Amino acid sequence: MSPAPHAPTLANTPRRDWRAGLTRHEMLLLYVLIAEWLFFYFAGTSTNRRGVIVGFGTWDRQFDILRHSCEIGLLALALTPVIITAGIDLSVGSLLGLCAILFGKLWHDAGLSIPVAMGLTLGIGALAGALNAVLITALRLPPLIVTLGTYSLFRGLAEAITRGSITYTDFPENFLFIGQERWLGLPTQAWIFFSVALAMGLLLHRTTFGRAFRTLGLAPEGALYAGLPVERRLALVYVLAGLIAAIAAIIYTARLGQAKADAGTGYELFAITAVVLGGTSIFGGTGTIPGTLLGVAAIAVLKNGLACLPVVMRLNAAEEMSGLLTGALLLVALSASVLPKILSHLRPRRHTAPQP
Amino acid sequence: MKKSLLRFCAAGAVLLATLVHAAAADSKLIVAMLTKSKGNAYFISCKAGADKAAQELGIQLLFDGPTDSNAAKQNEIVENWITLGVDVIAVAAENKEGISTALRKAQKQGIKVLTYDADAMADARAFFVNQATPQGIGQTLMDEAARLVGEEGEFAMIVGSLTAANQREWQKHVEARLKEKFPKMKLVAVRPCDDLKDKAQSEATALLSANPKLKLIMAICSPGVPGAAEAVKQAGLTGKVKVMGLGLPNENKRYVHAGVTDSVILWNTGDLGYLTIYAGVALAKDELKKGAKSFKAGSLGTFALEGDNILLGKPFIFNQGNIDRFDF
Repeated sequence: MSPAPHAPTLANTPRRDWRAGLTRHEMLLLYVLIAEWLFFYFAGTSTNRRGVIVGFGTWDRQFDILRHSCEIGLLALALTPVIITAGIDLSVGSLLGLCAILFGKLWHDAGLSIPVAMGLTLGIGALAGALNAVLITALRLPPLIVTLGTYSLFRGLAEAITRGSITYTDFPENFLFIGQERWLGLPTQAWIFFSVALAMGLLLHRTTFGRAFRTLGLAPEGALYAGLPVERRLALVYVLAGLIAAIAAIIYTARLGQAKADAGTGYELFAITAVVLGGTSIFGGTGTIPGTLLGVAAIAVLKNGLACLPVVMRLNAAEEMSGLLTGALLLVALSASVLPKILSHLRPRRHTAPQP
Repeated sequence: MKKSLLRFCAAGAVLLATLVHAAAADSKLIVAMLTKSKGNAYFISCKAGADKAAQELGIQLLFDGPTDSNAAKQNEIVENWITLGVDVIAVAAENKEGISTALRKAQKQGIKVLTYDADAMADARAFFVNQATPQGIGQTLMDEAARLVGEEGEFAMIVGSLTAANQREWQKHVEARLKEKFPKMKLVAVRPCDDLKDKAQSEATALLSANPKLKLIMAICSPGVPGAAEAVKQAGLTGKVKVMGLGLPNENKRYVHAGVTDSVILWNTGDLGYLTIYAGVALAKDELKKGAKSFKAGSLGTFALEGDNILLGKPFIFNQGNIDRFDF
């Protein structure tokens, strides 16, 4: 198959090495991930009193890590195109909560079957995303302010509907299968997560449609003059974010077997951290799906690995430590990715300095 | 260049890991105790008792919980403990059904599970350390009220709401005890306060003016006690109308020291933690089995079992003499 004629030349360089597919930042992140994993494998695995191998180096733990990162991972996938277009969506975590309880309500109170309730929930998610989209593109309000508003609006709505006290539970076994069991060797929800990741990867990196998101982030006016339907494209990323948040809501509900208004509280911040850690510029213009996946993995391994360390266990401080180190990891990774640039600025000066 | 960086990272990680790992090796029995929220003073006081029990029994105690009351995080912590292969998990459930899926998984892996403070589904744990039965609460409330007024006179009740199941239950047992033991006392009114201190105060003020012969106000929801105390204080009836009820020591200390509130009733949270750890360890060592009628927990002595509930026993009465020893 010959390369598509419209594809930029850079993307057409022949692949001699898998590493060619990753940016410098992503390579660095991959090394961090491997180092992290090795560290926790050796420090967080042990044999317990009953002679059973426990901790980080067990398949169960690895699957748990995957299971626990699906919802935040999905939100990070949703946020990648949003941030690439120089936007932001703070409402995805709240929307997860709203979708979760609406899903519960549709099933429990309205008596709908699980598939119908799921379908409607996805529709509601997309609709909520469309609300963000309309406010941002039609009224030209800044995304930060709009989604800060819907962040409160969606969560408030979820709390109002349940009056802060109703929790939907007793979901049927075959629904819980999505969140608690394994299918073809992996946690069921991981298949959904990977499918969405693949779809987003193809959209962003293999279609002209998706590649245009970068132009929107780098130079919105340029994109306009180039004849891109800027507003429609921009609207799409927010609708997509809403839709993916709804998928995450269903997975969340299936994993815990309960839908409550506080579902996904604070998840938007974890997701943004993962996206930025993955090399997406918060000012828009650059960013990749593989980078985001690496970002999600680096945070998930860190968080779950820490909880396996005997030292951290004894201090009973896994959650606090993971917050602290996630922050540190983000700052170090960001600094490390700009460091080479700064060094290359310094180097010529050093070389030209007169030798004594 | 890139390869050497990778090797350097990997070698560094492994070396560091060996150092961290060397500091570990421990073969004590591990009991993991989960709270509803980690910073909550109520659970911190539970931990004090649990620590004492852990020390006496020579076990390792893990004590963790979400920093906010978050059911999803509770599940994640339990799942983590499962892969760590702890021996016992003791849980105060934030959400009954939600946590039960994780607890069943733990049981399947051979981990002993019990609950305390707030129960999970019965099939997801072996025992529930029950801090107070409705009957125990009702009787203690009524007996203490009678003691305060010399077993005679009028009193009124402030409840959280007229419909809440636990409140109805407690009220029923208070009234049963009244009928059975204190014929000279009379319950003249029961008012709801919607679990708000302000509403409790206005209801108490109304009760005071409508019932001039009132001797005592009993509040059975925690905002009700300080609410009623504030009303009595502002009406200048301190000492003439007694205030007592169910509540937390900290929110009542001020009124207890000022002599407005006489008794605050709850359970001893330290004992709750202590008993939970003893029960968990006994469960792991197969010393505590289904169908047992009583159970001995270290220095606290013997506790009765009712089915799969281990009863902490009579509620604890906080008063001027002891309230400062408690901080929650």
